[in-house]
Parts: sequence; structure tokens; C-alpha cells
Amino acid sequence: MENNISFAWGPVQISTSILTTWGIIAMMSLVAWLSTRHLAMLPKGLQTLAEGIVSVIDDAVSAVAPEQTREIMPFIATLWLFLIVANLVGLIPGLHSPTSDLSVTSALAVLVFFSVHWFGIKTLGIKNYLHHYLTPSPILLPFHIISEFTRTIALAIRLFGNMMSLEMAAMLILLVAGFLAPIPILMLHIIEALVQAYIFGMLALIYLAGAMQSQQLNSQE
Amino acid sequence: MEFNVSTFILESINFLVLLWLLQRLFYKPLLKVIAERKQLIEQTLAEAKNQQQQAEEKLALYENRQRQWEQEKQLAFQALQQQIDVERKVQLEKLQLELEQERQKARVTLSLQQQEFQQRMEKQALENGAKFSTILLQQAVGPELELRLFHLLLDKISEFPEVIKQHLMGAGEMDIPPKVKVTSAYPLTAEMHQQLEQKLMTLMNRAADIQYHQSTELIAGLRLDIGAWVLDANLKHELIGFAEFVYVSK
Repeated sequence: MENNISFAWGPVQISTSILTTWGIIAMMSLVAWLSTRHLAMLPKGLQTLAEGIVSVIDDAVSAVAPEQTREIMPFIATLWLFLIVANLVGLIPGLHSPTSDLSVTSALAVLVFFSVHWFGIKTLGIKNYLHHYLTPSPILLPFHIISEFTRTIALAIRLFGNMMSLEMAAMLILLVAGFLAPIPILMLHIIEALVQAYIFGMLALIYLAGAMQSQQLNSQE
Repeated sequence: MEFNVSTFILESINFLVLLWLLQRLFYKPLLKVIAERKQLIEQTLAEAKNQQQQAEEKLALYENRQRQWEQEKQLAFQALQQQIDVERKVQLEKLQLELEQERQKARVTLSLQQQEFQQRMEKQALENGAKFSTILLQQAVGPELELRLFHLLLDKISEFPEVIKQHLMGAGEMDIPPKVKVTSAYPLTAEMHQQLEQKLMTLMNRAADIQYHQSTELIAGLRLDIGAWVLDANLKHELIGFAEFVYVSK
């Protein structure tokens, strides 16, 4: 992969992924503002679509973590929405998916990593939260710690690998086979982009719910 | 594949900024309006449920009231029916009584009318009989019947009861002759005049002032008027007497 640094401002290097992300943020903020500009009790048009999206995500989060829905829903919803848009941006000619950049997926995975501990401690308290690493047996503590890091790395690498390989495959087929041949690959890209976004968001939701409900599970056992 | 720390840090910040923006612009307003709508729906549902409950209570109340009205109506209808039956019975009995009275009255009236008619018929029949007899006797009369009736008159004079004879002898002034009116259907002969005057002299023991008249109404025979006394020996008197006798005997 070539060096995708657009420009540098002192030690701060601005990559194309960051530029694309800014664009995505601007576009999503604009759509969010437009859809919630004139909210009415009887929704229509963009408000209906926005409410549908939020309701679906809220129901999905509520099904996994019914008691902590209000706390973690914004984080999970932002992950899902950003990943869907970021994954699909690669379909636009001249743009690359930010999620095909390991630095971006790593940042998202690390954010999930810290969010798990943040919401876990916030919900259970630090003592109770740390105690769940010793259950069901203190012997499993190293495995818990290894699991925390490996699943974070797995999150980052899974998304990065899938999106980077899809873009690369599409580029190679375009170079080898011609103009219309990559279309099935592009359709696969759409499905894969949605599936990867769903997997990443769902795994993050499960990790968060697991951390917040670990004490309750232990007490039930 | 290069890991760029600057991109890593900026991407983390970007995501947190996006999270903050969406939370402010997207999730909060939408969740708020969804919650308000949900609350409004629940409130509306609660009101609807409350109204439905009230409606059901009112329905039950009205149904109960309607049932009571129905029962009252049935009772009133039964009472009215009974009253009508009683009134009908009374009116029927009254009508039957009136009818019976009218029938009885009609029967009596009819009976009276029949009796009257029968009497009228009988009377008319008798009158007709008398007329036919008169006509027949008028055709059958003759000197012999006249003579016999004259003798019958003489016999009647002879057979006067003694009380009447005494009365006739002593009535009026002895020097004034009593008036006797003799009416006959046919003119009497001189011999008959003589016999009659002799018979009357014997009866009254003195001579009488006799006046002779003729009347065809007698058909045949004579009539003798001696003061208040009338002695009939004629067919007209006999026919009248016969008719009266028959009518009275009926």
C-alpha cells in the first residue's frame, strides 16, 4: 500500500483516510441536522427514515442490553452508521474506504477496548468490574487479559483485512478484465461492507454488554 | 500496510467528535420525539381505555335500565291486557244483556203486532163474513121470513119477564099513551098492525101511541123501541150479535 499522507502540519500528518473521515463526518452531520430540523409528531420523509434507523438500532441494542440501552446506544449506533458509510465510500471512484486503513480500524478497535472498560467500571464500579477477571477462577486471569487484547486486535485486523482485500480485488480485476467485469465484485463489496459493519458493531455491543452485565451474571450463577 | 500514529490519534478524535455531533443532532432529538410520541400514544391509549371503560359502564347501565324498562313495559302491558280483558268482558256482558232486552222487546213487539194483525184480520174476516151474510140474506129475504120474524117478535113480547112487564105497565102517566116506535124492513100489513097493537095493549094494559117506520138497514124483521126498551127481531141485529159473539169468544 502506498503512502497516503496528503499533507503534514508539523508532527501531525493528515492522511487521505482522515480527509475522507472528515468528509463523512460533515456529510453525516448535515444529514442528521436536515433530518431533525423540523421534527413533528407525525413523521414524514427524512424524519421517517431517521426514526426508522434509530428505532432499529435501539431495538437491537435493547435486545442485547435492555438495562443499559440508553448509555451505550449512541456509541454502538455511531459505530454502525460510521462503518456503513465508511465501508461504502470505497465504491465512489477516486475515494478509498477509511476502514481499509489499519490505523483507522485500530483506532476504532481501541475505542471499543476503552469503552468496554469505561462502561463496565461506570456501571459496576472498579472493584466489581475488576473482580470479574477472577471469575470463575483466578487461574483464568491471564487468559482474560490476553482475550481483551486479542479480541481488540481481531476487531481491527478483521475489518481492515476484509475492506482492504475487497478494494484490492476490485482494483486487480479492473486492471486485468476491463471495464464491466468488476461489477459483481462491487456488488459483493456492498454486501461485505454492510456485513462487516454489522459484525464490528455487534461484537462491540456484545463486549460492552458483557462487561456491564458480568457482575449480574456472576451473581445469578 | 503502515500504521500511522497521527492517523490513529486523529481518527480516534474524529470518531469521538462524530459521536458527540450525532448525539447532539441525531439521537437526542429523535429519541426525544419518539419518547414523546410513545408517551402521547400511551396517554391516548389510556384515555381511550378509560373512555372505553366509561362507555362499557354506561352501556351496562343503559342495558340494565333498558331491561328494567322492558320489564316495566311487560308488566304494564300485562296489566293493560288484563284491564282490557275485564273491560271487554263487562262490555260484552252488558251488550249481551242489552241485546237480550232488545230481543225480548222485539219479540214482545212482534207478538203484539202479530196479535194485532191477527185481531185485525179476524175482525176484517168477521166483517167480510157479515157483509157476505148481509148480501146473501138480502137476496134470500122474502114475505115468509118477514112473517116469521114478525111472529118471533110477538113471541118475544109474550115472553117478556114479569119484572119488565110490570115496569111497562106502571111507566108514565096512565092517561097519556106510551110511545112505541116500530121500525120494519118492509111495510107491515094491516093485519100485522092489528096483531102488534093488540099484543102491545096486552103487554102494557093500555093503548099505545105507535109510530111505524121503515128501514132497509134491518134487512128483514122489526125493531121495537118502547121508551128505554129496545126489542130486536131483525137480521141486522142478529148478524151484529153473531159477529160480536164470535169476536168475544175468540
